[in-house]
Amino acid sequence: MIRDVVSSVFLLLGALSCLLGALGLLRLPDLPARLQAATKPQTLGLLLILIGTAVRLEFENAATLVLVILFQAVTAPVISQIVARSAYRTGTLDRDLLVIDELTARVEREDGARDAGDDRGK
Amino acid sequence: MTVVRRWPQILWLTVVWLLLWGRVSPTIVVGGVVVAIVVTALFPLPLVPRLPFRPWPLLMLAGFLVGDLFRSGLVVSVETLRYGSRSRAGIVAVPLLTRSERVVTVIAAAAALTPGSFVLQIDRQGGLLYVYALGLRGAADAEQVRVQMRRLQERVVAAMGVPA
Repeated sequence: MIRDVVSSVFLLLGALSCLLGALGLLRLPDLPARLQAATKPQTLGLLLILIGTAVRLEFENAATLVLVILFQAVTAPVISQIVARSAYRTGTLDRDLLVIDELTARVEREDGARDAGDDRGK
Repeated sequence: MTVVRRWPQILWLTVVWLLLWGRVSPTIVVGGVVVAIVVTALFPLPLVPRLPFRPWPLLMLAGFLVGDLFRSGLVVSVETLRYGSRSRAGIVAVPLLTRSERVVTVIAAAAALTPGSFVLQIDRQGGLLYVYALGLRGAADAEQVRVQMRRLQERVVAAMGVPA
């Protein structure tokens, strides 16, 4: 009985978190922001759902779930980083939405320095 | 005989095997070790000097990251609900505390779990991380991201950092 309640609470919270992630995919303005929605609330939702499931299972089946969340937590950041980087490089990222951007400033400075160097070389 | 020197990998693969079976019996343990040795011998990873293993700081780091995962889920959800398409972000340069490539890798992975942010670009020569953070409104928020990333780095370095 208590197990059922605990499990339901976790499952519902997990589902809510996944729902918020999906909503973020729709509502947030650009790719990196949407990536956040796809990784953060989704991973948290999965974790909560797995906890909710583990409460109901026998130990030997629950042990495997540890692997599920572990590999999710290890792979999600790698993928989001690669996608975000390509987004930045290909200009899919909406620069108007950034309140501060220290990377572009630097890239421009470096390009400027390189151009100046080319001029001197001529 | 390099297989013997790869014992941590064999141990880890055996643990994965046991978790997949979900129980421990002599047959499964022996089977797991045999499979782990075969896999390690067939697909050798480059042998690199081992990072220090400090169980207690590592456990603290793991706990901290789980807490971060909860907070980031919350932060991103709030950002979605409150601002939606009006949400703003920023890219902040953060000084790196370590030079070790593997520690930087762990820091970048851990940063992906901190609320609303992930690493966009790593500048190893300059010792800088460029961190994208969602939900920034001004310079004060950028400063907060730097403080947050610094704390995270300190934890990672405490757990597995090596003097550079």
